[in-house]
Amino acid sequence: METYVIRALNFIYPLMEKPALKLVNLKVESGEFITICGKSGCGKSTLLRHLKTVLTPHGTQSGEILFHGKSLAECDQRTQASQIGFVLQSPDNQIVTDQVWHELAFGLESLGFDNQTIRLRVAEMASFFGIQTWFMKNVTELSGGQKQLLNLASIMAMQPSVLILDEPTSQLDPIAAADFLETVKKINRELGTTVIITEQRLEEVLPMSDRVIVMDEGEIIVDDTPQKAGERLKAMQHHMFLAMPSPMQIYAGVENDLPCPITVRDGRKWLDTLVSEKPVFAGPALDADRATPERHFQQHIAATGIPDATNNPVVIQLKDVWFKYEKDLPDVVKDVSMQIHKGQFYCIVGGNGTGKTTTLSIISGILKPYRGRVLLNGQESSKKSNQERFVNNLGVLPQNPQALFVKKTVELDLYEMLSGMKLSQEQKTEKVKAIASLAELDGLLSMHPYDLSGGEQQRAALAKVLLLEPKILLLDEPTKGLDGYFKIKLAGILKKLNATGVTVVMVSHDIEFCARYADVCAMFFEGGIVTSNTPQAFFSGNSFYTTAANRMARHLFPDAVTIEDVIKECRKSLCQTIS
Amino acid sequence: MMKDAFSTFHPIVNFTYFAAVLLFSMFFMHPVFLGISLLCSFCYSVVLKGKKAVRFNLLYLLPLLLFMAVLNPAFNHAGVTILFYLKNGNPITMESILYGLATACMFVAIICWFSCYNVVMTSDKFIYLFGKIIPGLSLILSMVLRFVPRYKAQIKVISNAQKCIGRDVSNGNILERAKNGITILSIMTTWALENAIETADSMKSRGYGLPGRTSFSIFRLDNRDKAVFVSMLGLIAIVLAGAAVGQNSMRFFPSLKLPSLTALSMGVYLAYLALCLIPVIIDTVEENKWKHM
Amino acid sequence: MQEKPLSDNKLSRRTLVAIALIVLVIPATILFGVFFLGDRRYYFISLLIIFYTMLPFIMVFEKRKPQARELIVIAVLAAIAVAGRAAFFMLPQFKPVVAIVIIAGLCFGAEAGFLVGAVTGFVSNFFFGQGPWTPWQMFCFGIIGFLAGILFKKGVLQKEKLPLCIFGGLATFFVYGGIIDLGSVLMFTPKFSWQALMATYISGFWFNIVHAAATVFFLLVISQPMIEKLDRIKIKYGLIER
Repeated sequence: METYVIRALNFIYPLMEKPALKLVNLKVESGEFITICGKSGCGKSTLLRHLKTVLTPHGTQSGEILFHGKSLAECDQRTQASQIGFVLQSPDNQIVTDQVWHELAFGLESLGFDNQTIRLRVAEMASFFGIQTWFMKNVTELSGGQKQLLNLASIMAMQPSVLILDEPTSQLDPIAAADFLETVKKINRELGTTVIITEQRLEEVLPMSDRVIVMDEGEIIVDDTPQKAGERLKAMQHHMFLAMPSPMQIYAGVENDLPCPITVRDGRKWLDTLVSEKPVFAGPALDADRATPERHFQQHIAATGIPDATNNPVVIQLKDVWFKYEKDLPDVVKDVSMQIHKGQFYCIVGGNGTGKTTTLSIISGILKPYRGRVLLNGQESSKKSNQERFVNNLGVLPQNPQALFVKKTVELDLYEMLSGMKLSQEQKTEKVKAIASLAELDGLLSMHPYDLSGGEQQRAALAKVLLLEPKILLLDEPTKGLDGYFKIKLAGILKKLNATGVTVVMVSHDIEFCARYADVCAMFFEGGIVTSNTPQAFFSGNSFYTTAANRMARHLFPDAVTIEDVIKECRKSLCQTIS
Repeated sequence: MMKDAFSTFHPIVNFTYFAAVLLFSMFFMHPVFLGISLLCSFCYSVVLKGKKAVRFNLLYLLPLLLFMAVLNPAFNHAGVTILFYLKNGNPITMESILYGLATACMFVAIICWFSCYNVVMTSDKFIYLFGKIIPGLSLILSMVLRFVPRYKAQIKVISNAQKCIGRDVSNGNILERAKNGITILSIMTTWALENAIETADSMKSRGYGLPGRTSFSIFRLDNRDKAVFVSMLGLIAIVLAGAAVGQNSMRFFPSLKLPSLTALSMGVYLAYLALCLIPVIIDTVEENKWKHM
Repeated sequence: MQEKPLSDNKLSRRTLVAIALIVLVIPATILFGVFFLGDRRYYFISLLIIFYTMLPFIMVFEKRKPQARELIVIAVLAAIAVAGRAAFFMLPQFKPVVAIVIIAGLCFGAEAGFLVGAVTGFVSNFFFGQGPWTPWQMFCFGIIGFLAGILFKKGVLQKEKLPLCIFGGLATFFVYGGIIDLGSVLMFTPKFSWQALMATYISGFWFNIVHAAATVFFLLVISQPMIEKLDRIKIKYGLIER
């Protein structure tokens, strides 16, 4: 029995010419686990929202959607509410009430169950999800991961037959995200609930999926098992490959026609076979140099040349810095010393609660250490006024870019930034223009900041900060919730800034990103720096806390850290085996 | 300071208790009743909040009590027992002094009871009690209680982000500061409104708006609750009976007149004392159970 | 929203309930108070009357089974007002609450204005402490929001700064200050007397002036952007229409 049958679905948003969905045909079998991927704006969220009437956006629609063999439009709201569970992106926004237990019961209350039934269902769900320890808590006390788990549980309490998740882990850190996806898998395996999910973190979700659907510009371009989908994308030489897990990307970059690996384990096996046996070449390899814009960029950098930053003067120096939030609380940052040179791209990585973000706030001067010194360009940071510190000196991009938007269009927002400065109108216009083109905002200037996608908001906020012409840029998890495409754009902007002598300090969970672009990576643990080095030395020295590409290939090429490194090594070794 | 066992009772028990003591404290202008109310509210607040309550009661409520007691005779010149005359010729009477003292006691007792109420009647209990009668509004209450801490945290995030672009609320002249404060409020408003759309989606997605919505609660009226509830109602009935026969009030003007002390009035006093002391008794019993185990 | 025919109907139903209350219940309460409540009658009668005025709003609101988006808008605005009251904790009386309530009434109608005000008064006391003052604050905030909505509908009030500021200042000083001070006289003094009321008004004069000035200030600065934001939300997401 099919859960969903979609036939020739078209959809156009009001006032838009380009359709958001074009001739979408899709069948979802009961009990299937389906992953939908594609870069942001490809129509995957729009498609998901069509699967439940109350969430369907306004616009012109044609084609048909059948739910359990019946037209979705004819299914009454009660059936839809209970049968179709929908988890949205933001853990915070979805929570309605202030108590965990009340939130769990919310859907059941709407369906009109009596107290006894709700009590039982809620108890069941709390036990299944391991919520019982924080069942009586106030929602405010929960972590992001717990909040998202609560959202999932409160939907599962209604016992839906299909669970739809729209990028549910984009706001979570990697550990919480893995936990969450594991729970989704458990729901699918143990309860037989159909799962339809869109995700950026394909490394985790693809191995669980029965089918992968790849969308581009509103169309479904691939609909197959993960392995076959990988092979198909490789054959198509499609740029969506950039979003695929590292083993699949490496696979695509090397000429071979073995089955496509999905997990790191598969990847290791694939690599072993590749190197030991002489494979027969049939299919063309995805030309990595042509397909990735980032390659372009790297070539560009290689041509212009970035000097080694370690010879540059030190711009940020922390000397034996200690910090705690209150007198009676434990130390958050313990005896941290570090030096960051002008023009460097410095990444701070590490788990949650290790003091990374706190250290960033200490550098920015928002928090003051109780012991130790912070020097900016050799001068004591604490002696500077806010004005001195932040104008033409330090720029901070907040984790949530929405914290910066004031006006109703992006352009007005950029001008707002210059409002306090003594500049002529022409100078202002010139500045805004220059920044807008640097941050690639040209087509977005007349839009409301909140109508932009996450990646665009990020760039708009960055542009605002850059208008102050900072010499040091501090970023707190700038890649959170961005897809592969936007990450490359962001990296491009940051590297351009580096080239003009701007120092970039970034806190991140995204080790793949850091490995690719950083000059120095520092790992935080227990409030201090455990180790810091160039990404290559840093990640090849770690065995768990390293990139997927490195984990996959370390037994053969211990120094290969990024996907490109592994591909290069593979090609090299293939050439050797052939000759 | 011990752990309050009375708070763990069913909200209806908690609420009835506070409704009764608050109303009785407001109505019964009788020295014995006022004394009992003041004393018990004081005791319970100390049980609930420990040293902090003692300090609050002595530092704020006692001066308030004295101030109010003095204030009344300045406005109120009724009464037959004139003690002396003010410079402007108005008499100060014994009755008005005592009356002022009585109202001050009443007011302080009410404040003190409310301080206990705020600890015991948490928002979720209130929402439970009114969830069935006013479901829409009580859901709004629950949402507001969820949003407020979130918004406060967001205000902090925004003000830090603003600080990092050189706009600080904590320095600059008053006009700049106010301007920056307004900017923060404005950013917060947009953020709140735009993000609330997803909340509305989440509500609709979980079937909000379907007819026949029920209201779930984790509170259960068990036998322990019933026992306390019934005895509480009994005591309330006795006190009300006392009020009906005029035992619970006294006359202040024109001259003081107390109802005479009889076995009946003693009974009513004791019932009122028992009623007011219910939480303290429950807490003490509970505490002793653990001591002897 | 004001062109919606339904809301006229609602208004008249509320008016009917209100009339019934005014004609029957309020006199009954006063009689009951005069004969049975003795000394505390002023306070209790006033308190009950306040409850009666709030009752029709609550009843009508619950009766028509509000949509998720209406609940959200009221909750968000009330939460902003509460957070605003908390954010300016260091400046006594200098609060944006009345300004936000007025804007709510203006943009979403008299009923929403009343509810935002009343909910703000109630919930903020979960953070500042409930007390005998709670119903008075609920009533005052609510009635100001209601007035703003009604006056806007009647065309007396426009979405322009000057009339808004004048209304805000007057409403804060006379409606809020006047009623809250009356309430505290009834609470504090056992017997109502005009001298006591006058004394309270005089002693509260500067407090009320500061409060009114704060409202004018906030309306001056935030009313336009706020109205813009709310209108955008209304249009973009069809929050109230439809």
